[in-house]
Amino acid sequence: MLRLLPRLARALGRRRPRARTTAAGDSFRAEQQAVLLNAAHAVTSELEFESVLQRLVDEVLALLEADAADCWIFEPGGRSLRCRAVKGVPASNVGRQIPAAGTIGQAIETGRPVLTHDFARSENPPPSKPYSVFEDVMVAPITWRGEARGALGVCARRPGSFAEHDVETLEVFARFASIALHNAESFQERARQARIERGFFRVADALGSPLSLGETLDALAQAAAEALGGDAAVVFEPKDERLAVAASHELGSGLSTGAGGLSASALPFSVDPGDVRIVTSSSLAHDERFDEEWRRALVAEGYRALLSAPVVSGKRQAHAVVVLFVEERTFTDDDIALARHLADAARGALERSDLFEAERRANTLSQRLAALGARLVTNLDPGVVLAEIAGEAPILLDADAATVRLLEGDELVVRATTGARTGLAEGTRSSSGSGFLGEVAQSRAPAVVEDVRTTPRASRTDPLLGEGMSACVAVPMVTHGGGLLGVVTVYSASPRTWRDDEVQALTALSVVASAALANAELYQRVAEEKERNDAILANIADGIVAVDRDERIVLWNATAEQITGVPVEEALGRRVPDVLQRELSSADEAPGEREITILRAGKEVFLSLTEAVMSDSAGAVAGRVFAFRDVSAERRLEQMKSDFVSTVSHELRTPLTSIYGFAETLLRSDIAFGETERDTFLRYIASESERLIAIVDDLLNVARLEAGTIGMAMGATDIAEVVDEAVANASEAANGGHSFHVDLPADVPRAEADREKLTQVLTHLLENAVKFSPDGGTITVSGRGKAGSVEVRVSDEGIGIPRSDQNRIFSKFFRVDAEPLSGVPGTGLGLFLARGLLAAMNGRIWVESKEGQGATFAFELPAWRSSARELVPAETAGR
Amino acid sequence: MTKVLVIDDEAPIRLLCRVNLEAEGFDVIEAGDGPSGLELARAEMPDAILLDVMMPGLDGWTIAERLLEDEATKDIPVVFLTARADLRDRVRGIDAGGVDYITKPFNPVDLAALIRDVIEAVDRGDRETLRREKITELRSLLGGA
Repeated sequence: MLRLLPRLARALGRRRPRARTTAAGDSFRAEQQAVLLNAAHAVTSELEFESVLQRLVDEVLALLEADAADCWIFEPGGRSLRCRAVKGVPASNVGRQIPAAGTIGQAIETGRPVLTHDFARSENPPPSKPYSVFEDVMVAPITWRGEARGALGVCARRPGSFAEHDVETLEVFARFASIALHNAESFQERARQARIERGFFRVADALGSPLSLGETLDALAQAAAEALGGDAAVVFEPKDERLAVAASHELGSGLSTGAGGLSASALPFSVDPGDVRIVTSSSLAHDERFDEEWRRALVAEGYRALLSAPVVSGKRQAHAVVVLFVEERTFTDDDIALARHLADAARGALERSDLFEAERRANTLSQRLAALGARLVTNLDPGVVLAEIAGEAPILLDADAATVRLLEGDELVVRATTGARTGLAEGTRSSSGSGFLGEVAQSRAPAVVEDVRTTPRASRTDPLLGEGMSACVAVPMVTHGGGLLGVVTVYSASPRTWRDDEVQALTALSVVASAALANAELYQRVAEEKERNDAILANIADGIVAVDRDERIVLWNATAEQITGVPVEEALGRRVPDVLQRELSSADEAPGEREITILRAGKEVFLSLTEAVMSDSAGAVAGRVFAFRDVSAERRLEQMKSDFVSTVSHELRTPLTSIYGFAETLLRSDIAFGETERDTFLRYIASESERLIAIVDDLLNVARLEAGTIGMAMGATDIAEVVDEAVANASEAANGGHSFHVDLPADVPRAEADREKLTQVLTHLLENAVKFSPDGGTITVSGRGKAGSVEVRVSDEGIGIPRSDQNRIFSKFFRVDAEPLSGVPGTGLGLFLARGLLAAMNGRIWVESKEGQGATFAFELPAWRSSARELVPAETAGR
Repeated sequence: MTKVLVIDDEAPIRLLCRVNLEAEGFDVIEAGDGPSGLELARAEMPDAILLDVMMPGLDGWTIAERLLEDEATKDIPVVFLTARADLRDRVRGIDAGGVDYITKPFNPVDLAALIRDVIEAVDRGDRETLRREKITELRSLLGGA
């Protein structure tokens, strides 16, 4: 532009001498030069091609004071000129095409401006009717790069409006016009290149991120349109011998919604993967390679040119991306290269999207599987697990129904179903050894039916395939050990193919399902076992206590509660020493049965305890289990027995000591005893022998009482006689330490009793009364008649009997354990014998006592009735 | 003359001891229960005491402990007379300060020699040796039981 200005100045300068004829002419030309420079500046400052055109006509009209101005540019191919801008004639002239003939033709042909003074008459035909009013018409060619690109014309109604110098001015202006148009075109080309570059980026960007197939195709359409400067783009995909619109960008609604797509022959290119040609059509309206109907549709939507590129990816059939242009255009090598680049990028994108889709499907499947797996394995009811499997399997594969068959014996039995009408199949049986399902069962491998019409044998073993279901996939359920559990089958109402990943997902489901079923069944068994164990533990006679590795109590059964007196809620979670005030576990590592004592309500309780140590897999102590019995009663009995043995031993040894001792003494030859001494010794031998006999008798009576073989000589027994005899013996034995008092009214009736046994009873009661009143005092024996019975009471003023012992004093071996009595002899059999003998005589005995205030032992016997039998058989008496 | 105190609630046994010990030249005194036995021991200071275990009121072990607690009587050797079969009862006797024990029934002919031996041993200062021997003997019997 700046380089042109000196040339312009020279051109104007050369003309100046010829124009110097008048001062007015000089002045006018100077003015015109200024205007020309302004106009040149104005048009060359525009960069937009269309704006430059309009500016040209505006400026040239003003510059040459014309009535009209226009600008014509060659159409592609150079056959005709199209009006691109006008001023002074109606705008409807814009777009008009004319051949390069007449004035304009002459200007283009000569490359020089042409001035016609009688345009209205000479121009035949005029470009249009409005041009017929012009007399003077001046046309200058517009050329750049040595090629005529169009023409610039000015028109005037008045003849002689334009002079020779105006022709020069127009020629100069036309050069500016050429420069401006060339600039604009260069700018436009650069803009186009920039747009293409942006297109590359858009293609790379849009197709570079991993997208779904749909998103990738949409991005492809947009990238193609933008990269190639197209006005719209559409992506076709082959479908059932036709071409369907897979994606589009800015496509008119009349095209994008073409239902059913295009016939494959509608396009002059195939979607055969082998065909990678890029097809272009610069002028669609006349391109007969295309299906006429489609071509007409495109033209009706305003499209004039297209470019089509195939996109081939992997084994898939090719997509075709078609870029549409609203203007006819020629396609450059750049366009073709860009289209190839686009196709390459699209192929990569489609391959990625294939991966993406596969991954997404796999993800969806695995997410569903994971969720289902989590639900299944946490469910512990086998029935619910089966229902879940049947419910989830069709959702997993977007199918219509499912059945779960379990192997029962050698048959597969439908145990759960989902889907319409599948309930009919519930409970139906089929062979696990033959048929379609049998094969799945035997091979432990999935099998598919895509269309039951082509696999009729499948319907013979699966009733659902004949009843509305057309396709299915069946997978076996196999246990961890490889055993067959059953078969899961998913159905589709219409024929369909089953993708590998779907079959794999269903297989995975069946694995999870098998595990869940096994889990649920195991849990069921464990739960039953636990219930059984709980019942056993609750009812077991042993106390059972378990502690965990932290020695916290985790089990405390009902018997443990009873034995320890500690309720389970107080024991659980605490440590044994905090609950029982002592440890249960033994320090040594080989514990057998041990005996320990604990305190229950302050009393000592003897426990026989065994202990088991539970070890974990690493060999560490995982917990301990203690089983114990309350052996306090046994211990007390043992203690009493041991005491009894000791006591009896003492009771036997004491008289024996005298008997043996006096016998040995009498045998001494070194001492001469007098008669009195010998008598004393022998009397002691005799009386101590009697004492020995009495003890032995007691022991025998106990044995007989227990065996029920004691003989009773029942008869009318005078209580007073028996009491007198017993008191006399006792008084003698007491050796004056106690005073005896007998209180028997004369009217006390006779009792029905065995006199000898009754004497034994009274003797024992009196001996006790003496023994348990170590400080002496009065012993009173009283008696009275009651309705049908006789009551006798023996009272002392001794130490009395604690209330807690009163129930136990009549039991065998029991002896009151009191400090002042520790040395008191006795077998502990007296009261036991008294009670037994009285019971055998249909009587009873009881005690009335307060500790420290003496005791009264009382018994009653039936009064003698003359009708009563004299002898009661031993068998009945012992009861 | 060597004086022996017999404490037993059984009169025939006291008589047995008296007859056989006096025949061998011992002076014998008797008590029928614990309290009078303790009193007599302090009053008469016998050279040895024959002490029955099982008696009403104070038993033999308690009496032995009281004798041991009393400065006047603590050195008198005590021989227990016991009809208790349990070995632990005999140990208890030695623990209570007894130097020996005689198990009922016993041959009264041997009584004098036993008392003499005990007194001699105690006089030699072997009282504790004697007790230890008895304890060891009883323990070995207990352990073997």
